[in-house]
Amino acid sequence: MSTEHSTPNASPSTNRFDAIVVGAGPAGSSASFTLARKGFKVLMIDRGRRAGTKNMYGGRVYSEPLEAIFPSLRKDAPVHRWVKAERLSFVSDEGLTSIEYRGGESKSFTTYLPELVNWMRAKAEEAGALVATEVRVDRLVVEKEKVIGVQAGPDTVYADTVIDAEGVNRLLLEGAWQMNVPRQEDLAIGLKETIKLDAERVNQRFGLEDEGMAWILLGSVTRYIPGGAFVYTNRDSVSIGLVLFLSHAVKRTNGHISRLLEDFRLHPKLKHLWRDGELLEYSAKLVPEYWRGFMPRRLSGAGLLVVGDAAGVLLNNGMTIRGVDLAAYSGYLAAETFTKAHAEGDFTSEMLSAYGRRVEESFIGRELRKHNGLEYIRRNPHFFDQYPRLVNSGLGRIFNIGLESPTIWKALRGAQKDVGPDAWTAIKDMYKIGRTL
Amino acid sequence: MQILVGIKWVPNTSNVRFDPKTGALIREGVPSIVNPHDLDAVEFALDLRDRYGGEVNALSMAPPSAIEGLEQVLGMGVDSAILVSDRIYGGADTLATSYVLAHAVKRISNQRGKLDLVIFGQETIDSSTAHIAAQTASWLDLPYLYYVRSVEIKENGFIAVERWLEDEKTIYDLPLPAVLGVAMKSREPRPVRLIYKIRAKAEKPIEIVTNEILKLNPNCVGLKGSPTWVSKIDYTPEVKRKREVFMDPDAGKAAKWLMQKYADEDINLIGGAHR
Repeated sequence: MSTEHSTPNASPSTNRFDAIVVGAGPAGSSASFTLARKGFKVLMIDRGRRAGTKNMYGGRVYSEPLEAIFPSLRKDAPVHRWVKAERLSFVSDEGLTSIEYRGGESKSFTTYLPELVNWMRAKAEEAGALVATEVRVDRLVVEKEKVIGVQAGPDTVYADTVIDAEGVNRLLLEGAWQMNVPRQEDLAIGLKETIKLDAERVNQRFGLEDEGMAWILLGSVTRYIPGGAFVYTNRDSVSIGLVLFLSHAVKRTNGHISRLLEDFRLHPKLKHLWRDGELLEYSAKLVPEYWRGFMPRRLSGAGLLVVGDAAGVLLNNGMTIRGVDLAAYSGYLAAETFTKAHAEGDFTSEMLSAYGRRVEESFIGRELRKHNGLEYIRRNPHFFDQYPRLVNSGLGRIFNIGLESPTIWKALRGAQKDVGPDAWTAIKDMYKIGRTL
Repeated sequence: MQILVGIKWVPNTSNVRFDPKTGALIREGVPSIVNPHDLDAVEFALDLRDRYGGEVNALSMAPPSAIEGLEQVLGMGVDSAILVSDRIYGGADTLATSYVLAHAVKRISNQRGKLDLVIFGQETIDSSTAHIAAQTASWLDLPYLYYVRSVEIKENGFIAVERWLEDEKTIYDLPLPAVLGVAMKSREPRPVRLIYKIRAKAEKPIEIVTNEILKLNPNCVGLKGSPTWVSKIDYTPEVKRKREVFMDPDAGKAAKWLMQKYADEDINLIGGAHR
């Protein structure tokens, strides 16, 4: 009897790939699918039990970038509802004011992200990618300043290029590039509860006919902490949650942050919308909120491409939050860059740096640069406090009439004197917002 | 050693809820997992293989979705897996299940020419009967021990099996082949390894066995072959806690007060049922 069971031969077929993708989220799955479809030997590794189990988002995906990657999306993706109703609300102690838009065409949908990601993973696997779940990658293996593979526990597997899709907690990248941990100022924290409600009730309570609603709320719903709240209608549930700028949230919350979400769920003006619903899930996630601070100085190195949250490709301009589609498209661009590099047999940092330029020149780069002025809003917390109150206080004066109605000017002036901000600040802010938007 | 280890694909009961009206299990949205106690058995088997060489194969009777679970144990280092899967096996109680499993074990034993140990977890988290190992052993007419903690191979073709009961530890000599039930939580299952997971995906070492292959009598399997069924599920009545606080700096007084409370509630501490 032998005393040692030997490790199976790590034969060239199982320890050498064209590309290794770390992380089976939207970015990683898109990269894997694109590469596998071109016939490359791809290994995608994820530490979750199955692809998607480590993914979390608010609740809406913009479809066009995804359709460019996955042509069959409209046919077989697990879409819950196509969003045709958009609502923006200012909530304060004084009241609640909403603006709502309803259009015919829809270019975004709600879904459970784990479902969508698992669908993307299945597409990648069908195309020939090898997907290994339940495995945590411990480090990127670097030799002569080139990434040559990944190490997971006792095992090392090699590839021409590693695509790092590890997400917002980019421990591998920090290890390989000696990067600093991200600053609080560049991050937000997202909290979410999914509440089960049958489809008919979702339709009734939100005035829908099987289409979806995306709803952003600002003001007291975050206890005036800079950030916002969201509500998305799924097929037979609603996702409700908060996104709070981390640096403010850390300073201004006492006790557990989930309390804030509970307060939102139990908000007197909102709770009837999900009354009798059953709480299915609570989740939380760090969000790479401010890309200028979070994005690594370069998105590639020799043998390495960085995609998705790890690359900081996420946009939040207050009304539009885009993460999944940008991440997926960055994965797609990484795959395209790899294809070119492979054709040249060149995986040096110069060659792969084309990826960063592709990102910059694509809609991702254009979108991110366009909304850069939002930094002003972010740095001025009174946007999340005084303006929601101003709107509600003003409208309160206009609609709650005693004997005589005030002029609109008087109502607004009264409200401004009541809840601020001072006139000069308001003018400055209006000017800044005008320029930004 | 040729070792076969049984795997059950179960709903993750830590997430399972019951319909308060019908008492039925709500399966919707509840992900399945490998029965955690079976992972102890896998670890037990792999440890034996590490020490004595040989092969570990996994055996499961389940719908095709269990492939995911088998890939997990293959990822831990199990050499290959057999999934016994057929619609007519559905709805089986432990008798019908063990009947199918026993025939699958026989088939594997014949194929490999040798089978030393069939190892099961102590019980499953979704039904907790602990029947399967015993029943399989009885169909196969093999010696069986449960609550097993460790095994050593002896010179004469016997194994020394250590079993712990609540207040005793016994060592048995068993002839091979034998069936063992591994004490739950007696092992720390090893993590999934990348190269094993790659091998599981690339070489697909999972054989699917249907009743066309096993050719068992349809009346002996599945719902038809099951003399027992769950007629009703009742909630355990909620016990109201009678929270009381006794404050006194004198520990002796406090102890006396506590003992009196136990006596009032008719709780016998000397018997030591709860240790």
